[in-house]
Amino acid sequence: MAKDAEKSTWKDFIWNSRTREFCGRTGSSWGLILLFYLVFYIFLAGMFCLTMYVMLQTLDDYKPTWQDRLGTPGMMIRPRGKAMEISYNTTNTETWDMYIKTLDNFLSPYNNSLQAEKNEECTPDQYFVQADSGDVKNNPKRSCQFNRTFLEKCSGLDDHTYGYQAGKPCIIIKLNRVIGMLPGKDGQAPFVTCGAKKEDSDKIGEVEYYPENGTFNLMYYPYYGKKAQVNYSQPLVAIKFLNITLNEDINIECRIISNNIPPGSVRDKFAGKVSFKLRINTKG
Amino acid sequence: MAYSQCFSVSLSHTNTHTHTYALSLSLSLSLSLSLSLPSLSVSLFLLSLSLSSFSLSLPSLSLFLLSLSLSLSLSLSLSLSLSLSLSLSLSVSVSLSFPPSLSTFQTEHKMSIEECCRKFNTDIVQGLTNAKAAEFLIRDGPNCLTPPPTTPEWIKFCRQLFGGFSILLWTGAILCFLAYAIQAATEDEPAGDNLYLGIVLSVVVVVTGCFSYFQEAKSSKIMESFKNMVPQQALVIREGEKMTINAEEVVAGDLVEVKGGDRIPADLRVVSAHGCKVDNSSLTGESEPQSRSPDCTHDNPLETRNVAFFSTNCVEGTARGIVVCTGDRTVMGRIATLTSGLESGKTPIAKEIEHFIHLITGVAVFLGITFFILAVCLGYTWLEAVIFLIGIIVANVPEGLLATVTVCLTLTAKRMAKKNCLVKNLEAVETLGSTSTICSDKTGTLTQNRMTVAHMWFDNQIHEADTTEDQSGASFDKTSASWAALARVAALCNRAVFKAGQDQLPILKRDTAGDASESALLKCIELSCGSVKQIREKNKKVAEIPFNSTNKYQLSVHETEDPNDNRYLLVMKGAPERILDRCTTIIIQGKEQPMDEEMKESFQNAYMELGGLGERVLGFCHLLMPEDQYPKGFAFDCDDVNFTTESLCFVGLMSMIDPPRAAVPDAVGKCRSAGIKVIMVTGDHPITAKAIAKGVGIISEGNETVEDIASRLNIPVSQVNPRDAKACVIHGTDLKELSQDQMDDILRNHTEIVFARTSPQQKLIIVEGCQRLGAIVAVTGDGVNDSPALKKADIGVAMGISGSDVSKQAADMILLDDNFASIVTGVEEGRLIFDNLKKSIAYTLTSNIPEITPFLLFIIVNIPLPLGTITILCIDLGTDMVPAISLAYEAAESDIMKRQPRNPTRDKLVNERLISIAYGQIGMIQALGGFFSYFVILAENGFLPSILVGIRLNWDDRACNDLEDSYGQQWTYEQRKIVEFTCHTAFFVSIVVVQWADVIVCKTRRNSVFQQGMKNKILIFGLFEETALAAFLSYTPGMDVALRMFPLKHRHTSTQTDIHLHKQIVIDIHLHKQTYTYTNR
Repeated sequence: MAKDAEKSTWKDFIWNSRTREFCGRTGSSWGLILLFYLVFYIFLAGMFCLTMYVMLQTLDDYKPTWQDRLGTPGMMIRPRGKAMEISYNTTNTETWDMYIKTLDNFLSPYNNSLQAEKNEECTPDQYFVQADSGDVKNNPKRSCQFNRTFLEKCSGLDDHTYGYQAGKPCIIIKLNRVIGMLPGKDGQAPFVTCGAKKEDSDKIGEVEYYPENGTFNLMYYPYYGKKAQVNYSQPLVAIKFLNITLNEDINIECRIISNNIPPGSVRDKFAGKVSFKLRINTKG
Repeated sequence: MAYSQCFSVSLSHTNTHTHTYALSLSLSLSLSLSLSLPSLSVSLFLLSLSLSSFSLSLPSLSLFLLSLSLSLSLSLSLSLSLSLSLSLSLSVSVSLSFPPSLSTFQTEHKMSIEECCRKFNTDIVQGLTNAKAAEFLIRDGPNCLTPPPTTPEWIKFCRQLFGGFSILLWTGAILCFLAYAIQAATEDEPAGDNLYLGIVLSVVVVVTGCFSYFQEAKSSKIMESFKNMVPQQALVIREGEKMTINAEEVVAGDLVEVKGGDRIPADLRVVSAHGCKVDNSSLTGESEPQSRSPDCTHDNPLETRNVAFFSTNCVEGTARGIVVCTGDRTVMGRIATLTSGLESGKTPIAKEIEHFIHLITGVAVFLGITFFILAVCLGYTWLEAVIFLIGIIVANVPEGLLATVTVCLTLTAKRMAKKNCLVKNLEAVETLGSTSTICSDKTGTLTQNRMTVAHMWFDNQIHEADTTEDQSGASFDKTSASWAALARVAALCNRAVFKAGQDQLPILKRDTAGDASESALLKCIELSCGSVKQIREKNKKVAEIPFNSTNKYQLSVHETEDPNDNRYLLVMKGAPERILDRCTTIIIQGKEQPMDEEMKESFQNAYMELGGLGERVLGFCHLLMPEDQYPKGFAFDCDDVNFTTESLCFVGLMSMIDPPRAAVPDAVGKCRSAGIKVIMVTGDHPITAKAIAKGVGIISEGNETVEDIASRLNIPVSQVNPRDAKACVIHGTDLKELSQDQMDDILRNHTEIVFARTSPQQKLIIVEGCQRLGAIVAVTGDGVNDSPALKKADIGVAMGISGSDVSKQAADMILLDDNFASIVTGVEEGRLIFDNLKKSIAYTLTSNIPEITPFLLFIIVNIPLPLGTITILCIDLGTDMVPAISLAYEAAESDIMKRQPRNPTRDKLVNERLISIAYGQIGMIQALGGFFSYFVILAENGFLPSILVGIRLNWDDRACNDLEDSYGQQWTYEQRKIVEFTCHTAFFVSIVVVQWADVIVCKTRRNSVFQQGMKNKILIFGLFEETALAAFLSYTPGMDVALRMFPLKHRHTSTQTDIHLHKQIVIDIHLHKQTYTYTNR
C-alpha cells in the first residue's frame, strides 16, 4: 500500500494533471525560471566577452607579452617517428616510405625556386635586423632564403630516399622559432652536434652535417613573428648517419651549441637538445 | 555476518524468557543490524566488482563499466528505499507486539502467600535452602539486567567509515581507482591524477571517520563516568539465617528483607510490611512514595500494593518479600529489553544528507551520462569516454564537505556540552532544531523531584510558601502566632532528620532520612524558623504513634519549652478531614476559638482549593494537655492509647507538591513561541499533572480542558464540543481505549496535552502517534519507564543527574543539569547549525562548478586543461575548508526561536533552489572568472583563444615539441605544460578570490550582509587564511615540483582584480536575494 502511494506521488511529481504541474512547477513558473536563466546567462556571456575583448586589446599583435618560458628554444627532428622513435627495415619499403613522404612534404617549401621567388639572399654570418622606427612598423619584414640544396645529400634531390633505403638515413633538425631570439653573440653562429648516449657511443659511427658543421646561420635571426614575417624560412640542419650499427636500438642526442643559449631545465628533454631512438633493421 | 550475530541474539532471548514479543524483538534486531550495513555491503560489492574487472578483457570492460556506473546509482537508491519500507513495517510490528507483554506478567500478586511459597519451593520463615538457591542461580542466571547488546567498537567505527556522506566519497574513490586501472591497462604512461584522487578521497574518508569516531567515543566516555559502580547488597534469609549477599546472587524464591534507604534487589511479593513505602518514580513516574502491604489491591501488578519492584527504592519502613522475578524478567528488566529491541530510525540530518546525496548523485550522473554521449559522438573511443564519465562523476563529489559537516557538527556538540547538553551521537546535534514536539516527563524534568511545602492555611487564609530552588520567591507573613504554632507542630510531629555532615550545604540541598512529605516539612521549618533539631531538643518527645493507614494520622507527645510549664504538648498531623473531626477549636491569630460551621466551611474550601492544585494536603492540630489529668511523668501508652486524641485544637493545613523547576515555565514559553508543542507525559495523577502543567505553562493560562468547560457551564462533559477545548488531560486508562484515529485526532486538535497515568508502552504509543503525524519528536525522561520512548523518539533526552543508566543508554542526548531549560538551548543550537550547515554546503558546492567546467570544456572543445586535479584538491581540502567551517560560527540571522520548526518534508537541507543558486548562478560566475584568468595567462604567453579550440591532441602529445602558437613561436611539451600549470594556478587563485565573495554571499540567507555585519571573527580569519594558503601554494619555491603549481606574475595577479568585477556581480546577486531567488523556503 505504501508502495502504491509512493508510486503515485512520483507520477504526480513528474506530471500532476490536477495542478498542471510538471516536476512540481507550473508551466509559467518554469517559463519564468528559464527566462531568468536566459537573461542571466546572456548577461554573463556579454560580461565575459567584454572582459575578454578588453584583455585582447591589451595584447601586442606582433610579440606576446611574456616569453620567459621560451628562454631555451626547443629542438625537434624530422621525421618525428612514433614517439621520437625512428625504426624501419631497409628491405621493407613500407616501413620507411612514410618518413620519405614526411621529409618531402616538410622540405617542399624550401625548394630553391620557391625560395628565390619569396625570399631574398642575405648577407651571411650576421643578424638580419629590420628594426621598426618608433611607432612606425617596418612591415612586412623580409626573410632570407634557405635553399633545399643547402642540405646537399639530405636534400632529397639526388637521393629520393634520403638514404633510408641504403641504411644511411638523414634526420633533419630544427631549432624552435622564438620571436626576437638571437642565438649567438660575437658573430658566432650556433651549431648542432649529435652523439650517442654513453653505452651506444661506439655504435653511432660517422655522422655528416649539412650545411657544413651543422650551423644555423645568423642571418636567419632574429625572427619577427608570423604576422610581420610571413615568409620566414626556418633554418635547418640535416645529419646523415653514414655507418650506423644496424639491427640495434641506438639512442642519439643532438644539442645546440651556442654561446648565449642558456641550458634548459633538467626536466625538459627538448630544450636546446633533442633525443631520439634510431633502429635500422636489415633482416626480413 | 550480520545475520549470524542476530541469530545468536535471538537465541539468547528465547532462552531467557519465552514471551510473545521475544521473537518480534529479535526479528527487529536482526533487521536493524542488517540494515545498518547496507552501505558496507554496497562498497564490498563494488570492490569485488572492481577486482574482478581486472581479469576481464578490455573491450568488454568498457561496456561493463557503463552498466556498472548505471547500476550503481540504481542499486544505491534501491537499497535506500528498501530500508525505508522495511523500517516502516518494523515499527508497526513492534507497536503491535507490546500490549500483551506486561499484562501477561506476574500473577503472583494475586496468589496467596502460601501459594507463592509453593510455587517457588520456599518457606516463609526459613527461606530457600542454600542448595536450592545455588540451583536456581544456575537456572536463571545472575540477578542483573543484561546490558543492551552494545555494538562492537569496530562496527561503530565502520559506521563512521561507511555511513552517510562517506559512501559518496568511497564510490568516488573506487571509481577513481577503476579509471586508473583502465588507464594503466591501456596507456604506457598513465597520468597519476586518478590514482592520487582516489587515494586522497580514501584518506579523507578515513581521517574524518576516525575523527568523528573519536569524537563520539569521547562522549561515551563521559557516559561511562555516570555509571554507578557500587555493587548492590541484599539481605536475604536462607535456611533461616539472615545473610547479606551481593544483589546479583539473589534468586527467585529468596526471602528478602528491605528497609528504608535500600534499593529493592528484585521484584518482590511482599509478605509482611511495617510502614513500608517505596518510591516507584523511576518506574511509573509517580513522585509520591507508595506504601506496600501484603494484600493484593489491584489486578494490575504495577498498581497493586503487594509487589515491590526491582531497582526502585524503599523510602521508609521495613518489608519482607519473596523474590518472584530476577534480572531481565523483572518489570524493570522487561522495559529495559523493550528498549533494546526498538529501532530508533534515522536522524533528520541523516535523512537530509541522504537527500543531498541523491541530488548530488543525480546531478553527477546526469552530467556524466550527457558528456559521455557527447564524447562518444565527438569521436572519442569508448574507453576514453568511460574515463571522462568517471572523471565527471568524481568531480561532482565535494571532497571537503564530509570533513566540513563533521567539524561543524562537532563544534556545535562542544558548544552544547558547554551549555549542559551532552550529545551522544553527532548527528543528533541538529535533531533538536527540527523538533516540533517535545514529550516531556514530569518528575525530575519539569519538576524538582523534591516534595516542597507550597501552601499553608492558617488564620483562615491561604499563604504561599516559597517553592523556588534558590529561595528567591515570595515569602509570607511569619509574625502570626498561628504560624508559630503550626511550625511547632510541623517540627515536632515529624520523624525526618537531616543526614549528618551536611551543615555547610544549603538547606534545600541536604539529604534527609525519612518520608518525602516529612522531609518537605522539615526543610520548610528549618528554612523559616531555624534549627528543627533545637526545637526538638527543647521539646523532648515523650510518646509517639507513627502513621498508619487505618488511623491516617501521626501523633507525638512532647514536653513544653517552658520549664515551668509542666503540661504536655500533644501534636498531631494527618489527613485533613480526619484531623478536623478530632478538633473542637481552631487557632485564629494565635487565639483559640471554637470551631463553628463557618470555620468548617472555609476549611473545606481551602482543602478543596489546595487539593485542586494537585497538592498533598496535611492537617495539623495540637493540644496542651491539662496538667491535672496528665501530670508530669504520666506514662503514655501508645499501643493501648490511654490519653485523649479528641477535642484538639486545629492549627492549620500545609500542602506539598513537587514544584516545577524555576527555569521551566520560561523554557516552555520559549518552546511555544518557537512553534514546538510541549506534551506532558507522566505516570502521575491527572490532578497533579494538570496542576504542574498549568504551573509551567504547558496548559497556558485561559485555556480550558473539556472538563473545565463542563464545570464552568455546568453541563455534562459529553455535551461539550471537544474542539472548543484547546487543552486536554488524558488518563492512561482512557488512552488504552482510544483507536489510532482517535489518538491522531487528539494529537492534531489539541495544542496543549497532558497524559497522566501512562505506562511505558503508552508513552511509546504517544511518541509513535506524534511521529505518524509527521512530527519530529523529542522525548525527555529519566526513569527506566521512559527509556523505550527515549529510544523510539527522534531524539531522546535523558537526565544526567537523576536519570537511570538505562535511560541514558537509550537517549541520544543527556542534559547534564537535568534542566528542561537546557533543551531550549539545544533547540536553538540545532536550528542554528541547520542554517549554518546550509550555508556551508552552499559555499562548498559553489566551487564545484568552476572545478567541473574546465574538464567539460577540455573534453568538448579540446582546449588545454584549465584546472588540474591537484589544484581542485587544493581548493576543496585546502582553501575552502576554513571559510566553510567558519560559517558554523555565524550568528543567527533573526530570532530563530520565534520561527516555526522546519517542516521535514519541505524544508530540506539542500534543495533544488540551493543547487540552482550554487551551481547555476554563483558557480557559473566563478567559472567565468576562472576561465578569464586562464585565457589571460595563455594569451599573454602567445596562445590566443582562437587557436585553443581543438589544440588539445597536439598540446598533450609528449612527442610534439614544436607546437606553434598564435605568433608563430614553437613550444616544447614541457614549456607549454608550465604555461598550462600556471593556468591551473591562476584558475585556482581566481577561485580563491571569487570564494571570498562567495563566503560573504553564503554568510546570510535572509538578511543583507549590511544587516548581518561582519562580526564573525573566524570567518574573517578564514578569509585571510585562505588567501595566505593560496599565496603559499603558488609562491613557495618547490611547489612547481611538488604540486605543479607555478608562481603567477604580479601582473597576472593584478589582472585578477578584474575578477573582482565578477565578484561585484556576485554581490549584486546577493543583494537581490531577498527579492527573488534565495528565499530557501
